[in-house]
Amino acid sequence: MMTDDLPKARSVPFAALAPLGRILRFLMRQPTSVFGLAVIALLVLAAIAAPLLATHAPYAQDLSNTLAPPSAQNWFGTDELGRDIWSRLVWGSRITLSIIALVTIVVGPIGLAVGTVAGYYGGRIDTVMMRITDIFLSFPSLILSLAFVAALGPNLRNAIIAIALTSWPPVARLARAETMTFRNEDYVSAARLQGASDLRIICKSIVPMCLPSVMIRLTLNMATVILTAAGLGFLGLGAQPPLPEWGAMIATGRRYMIDSWWLVTFPGVAILCVSLAFNLIGDGLRDALDPKQMNRR
Amino acid sequence: MTGPTRLRLIATVSAAALGLSAPVVLAETPDDQLVVGFSMTNILTLDPAAITGKETVQVLANVYDGLVQLDPVNRTEVQPDLAESWEVAPDAMSITFTLRDGAEFASGNPVRAEDVVWSFRRLLTLNLAQASFLKTYGFTAEGAEQAFAAPDDRTVVVTLPQKINPQLIIATLGIVGPGSIIDSVLVTENEVDGDLGAAWLAQNSAGSAAFTLQQWQSNNLALLTRNDNFWGEPSTMRRIIWRHIPESQSQRLQLDQHDLDIAFQLAPADLAALETTEGVQIQTTPSAGFYYLAMSMADERFQNPKLREAIRYLIDYQGVNNAILPYFGEMHQRPISGGFFGLLDDPGYTLDPEKAKALLAEAGYPDGIDVTLRALSDDPFLNLATAMQGSLAQGGVRAEVITGSGEQIYGAMRERNFEMIVGRGGGGQLPDPDSNMRALIYNPDNSDEARLTNFQGWRTSFSDPKLNQMIDAAAAEADDEVRRQLYADIQNRIEEVVAPIIPFSEVVTSVAYRDDLNGFVLNPSWSTDLATVTKTR
Amino acid sequence: MSPTSRMTGFARQLGTIAITLLGLLVLTFAIGRLMPADPVRAIVGEEATQDTYMQVYTQLGFDRPLPVQFLMYLRDVLTGDFGTSIRTGQPVINDIMAVMPATLELATLAILIGAGLGIPLGVLAAVKKDRWPDHVIRIFSLMGHSMPIFWTGMIALLIFYAALGWVGGGGRISDYYIGLVPPVTNFIVIDAMLAREWDVVRSALNHLILPASLLGYSSSAYITRMTRSFMLDQINQEYITTARVKGLSRRQTIWRHAFLNIRVQLVTIVALAYGALLEGAVLIETVFSWPGFGQYLTSNLMTGDMNAVMTCVLLVGVIFIALNLLSDVLYRVFDPRTR
Repeated sequence: MMTDDLPKARSVPFAALAPLGRILRFLMRQPTSVFGLAVIALLVLAAIAAPLLATHAPYAQDLSNTLAPPSAQNWFGTDELGRDIWSRLVWGSRITLSIIALVTIVVGPIGLAVGTVAGYYGGRIDTVMMRITDIFLSFPSLILSLAFVAALGPNLRNAIIAIALTSWPPVARLARAETMTFRNEDYVSAARLQGASDLRIICKSIVPMCLPSVMIRLTLNMATVILTAAGLGFLGLGAQPPLPEWGAMIATGRRYMIDSWWLVTFPGVAILCVSLAFNLIGDGLRDALDPKQMNRR
Repeated sequence: MTGPTRLRLIATVSAAALGLSAPVVLAETPDDQLVVGFSMTNILTLDPAAITGKETVQVLANVYDGLVQLDPVNRTEVQPDLAESWEVAPDAMSITFTLRDGAEFASGNPVRAEDVVWSFRRLLTLNLAQASFLKTYGFTAEGAEQAFAAPDDRTVVVTLPQKINPQLIIATLGIVGPGSIIDSVLVTENEVDGDLGAAWLAQNSAGSAAFTLQQWQSNNLALLTRNDNFWGEPSTMRRIIWRHIPESQSQRLQLDQHDLDIAFQLAPADLAALETTEGVQIQTTPSAGFYYLAMSMADERFQNPKLREAIRYLIDYQGVNNAILPYFGEMHQRPISGGFFGLLDDPGYTLDPEKAKALLAEAGYPDGIDVTLRALSDDPFLNLATAMQGSLAQGGVRAEVITGSGEQIYGAMRERNFEMIVGRGGGGQLPDPDSNMRALIYNPDNSDEARLTNFQGWRTSFSDPKLNQMIDAAAAEADDEVRRQLYADIQNRIEEVVAPIIPFSEVVTSVAYRDDLNGFVLNPSWSTDLATVTKTR
Repeated sequence: MSPTSRMTGFARQLGTIAITLLGLLVLTFAIGRLMPADPVRAIVGEEATQDTYMQVYTQLGFDRPLPVQFLMYLRDVLTGDFGTSIRTGQPVINDIMAVMPATLELATLAILIGAGLGIPLGVLAAVKKDRWPDHVIRIFSLMGHSMPIFWTGMIALLIFYAALGWVGGGGRISDYYIGLVPPVTNFIVIDAMLAREWDVVRSALNHLILPASLLGYSSSAYITRMTRSFMLDQINQEYITTARVKGLSRRQTIWRHAFLNIRVQLVTIVALAYGALLEGAVLIETVFSWPGFGQYLTSNLMTGDMNAVMTCVLLVGVIFIALNLLSDVLYRVFDPRTR
């Protein structure tokens, strides 16, 4: 249980990060989570070592060798322009990772800011901010992202922005709930008595306390981010050709699906593996913590 | 409910509940129904005055009749339709049509000369997409009262507003859209706020052809049912179901599984696969327009005719037609469609990098040039652009390919904001060289403010006053022999001044269908008649 | 809670809903006006002249200032006018009503499959916690939650339609059955049963089964997980132990006591999952040429039909607000702890 794991010495807020190590150790004991962690490790490795792992350049066309089935030359076959699918998948892992990273970097601070401010001040500010959150929360993420991308123009950057715009509300909700439990704690009151400004209290005392649960919530969100990004790519509203984004690869591969199964199969398996991996880790995390705390959107 | 049926139903429902479905042998399409797959993305309305694109024409050709119809095989011929005969006045300034006796609209109302006149006046008054066919030849909303007259129930007199070859006008009236004759009584009953039935006709039909529109759902289906009041031979098909299936592979699968009779929008790879499929036939026919490489003369470099000529020798005509354009296009180098009046033989250009380099040097670019080359990101444009990039590079023209959606590519061309583009277009739905010339070459006002975006000549900032004059003269000329010579002169001049639009292929349409269909003949003007199609099994 | 305080609570809730709706309208309007596609060009076509273009441009009111356009939009929406579709020229609301039954039919069968699969599995997983059935169920449901549904749909179509011929291809029924049964409910299966056209029923089920199973599978993941967690709460509670001590069988305790106690929670979870199917429908309808809401939304996004997109987004927002409200109310009315 999370509350048990929380450190007693709350005057040292950064100690709040300590449970993360404990959680990681817990995860390593479960085979499913280990599998998930291994896949993610592989993904990160592939992204870092892409130039070494790829056998071809991801954009190099070979019009004399189009739609070639998997072979020793092209492990996963080639696409309609003769590009090597294995190499494109490997390079595509960078896109997948950067989507996850960028969304997380954008969503974390926005969610934290909205949630802590709303929870700390309460009252009208809280009402207004939570209303805004509710508006965004009242959409399934794919549909709202679709609408945003349609408005901003279809490309990878806008897809990331759109996904970020749709995934901050649960984080804000969580941060607000956490803040409300902390705001009347002794050490916060003490800081207030010492004349610390609200901004300082939020940044120094409240945010660090919310961080662990927010980070876990963000991890739980990653599978959704991957699937949404792939869905946008598939609908032609995410990454645009010739970028080797996996969803977009499936979208173009679909035109040759009957004769050339490898065009859609491998990117699909890649998406499935990575999103499954994140879900397995998320599931392990949920077990490590209070399930009801985490299931809330 | 009979015993066995109930059992089967229970079995099916329980199988469904289990997430499994009993293997069912899928039947063929019924003998008296035609199921057609195509893309409805471009169908915004079914009002003949407002339609755009070929898909709508394909549907409406079976719903509306014209006074005349365009021959599917011999492109210079027109055939009687609602008019049984017509006569051109000796001064060539008016045409008198005599209507067929006893023809009725699907509603049961008789087809009267008044309906014909009303349809043309409506077209010009609404001034929507299809009006431009007649406006090109001087017809206007104000002049419509005078231009179209109905002296009696069976006679229609069309008076030409300017000197123009009457055959051109007759052929224009054979096009589905501008030439479609509408049931004025029925439409007037459904008029709202003086909209001439525009809202109602977008969803309903008021024609006299073999079928009527029963239902249209945007991006889903158009359902045609047999018109029992049809004046001609009734079709053996009770219904035609037009289904929106945007993906080529889905169309191919469904054709394969006998769920479709005709697949209109197939990609080359799928056509090639179907070519060897048992029970499937493919028909290819020339269509409207060309694939071309165009340069913008708003870019100062391309004002130099030597440079434009160099580009002419940097296209691998044979190569792209053989490798990229099977089922899409056939090699063609003149800006006049195949089978049209007055077309000359191809000038016989080939890929010749050495000659191009010499011309580039002559033009003052011994080191070549850097350009951008735009293309749609769809088949076949993307591949064409890639191929062009390769052949242009051989002569030192380094092209950076920009791909995108219609808005990004043609939008930029409309704004005259591009350098080079691989595109498709150039008229030809009206089977007369004048249609090609106006779409590709004609440009009466080259100023930016004129915004003659419908002329590709304007889009490429190409304007040759002499050519404009020659095109007008050829359109007005009534004598066939003289006219033929005029078009020969025009084609020669286009090559001489090196127009910035270089056609390298003529658009063809390729359609796959089940081989149990008889009498399926594609019309190059898109108006394929499906009423005469039968099934033999 | 006294009746009066419950009433004021209700009034306050109505107020916040009104504000949320207004915010939603601002959001949809912003999305509509930001869309870069040129709706006028879509109407007039590629070869139209400039004056035809300008005529339509003014007709649609694009020449007025934005705040004026928003007020016009607000007024229209409040009077139930969601504008006409630029694509079809029909009132958008009519278009949506025409495509909605297809999606509802799909989603309804999907949720039946999803709940029918998810609830028993969830109970089983809770009962067998940390034993092998629990692990197998966990992997199975996480798979459903992790698959890119558009991809699974394509692969399934290739296998079950193209290769095996077990199920129908795209669309709701075989095309030649379209329009043969009189539309009563617009659910083809029910309409065809009413008309006693059993071939049509079979064809419809044949086309429904694959997309509905996939959607159902993906939503069963969520239902399984929640059911398991609710059940665990119950099983750990004292009265269950008491019941066991009193000599009730294990099976009786689980189904009569524990399961009965979570039924309200389950209803709200299934309702939320039903709403979430809209999202899967967007992708699965594209793959299966399913003429429903999802396809309507995506095709209008591509062609830049503002009014249609705005109304779709608004509708989805309203549906989700309503579902959340429903689950709040259900909790408040039935849950003994909040009473």
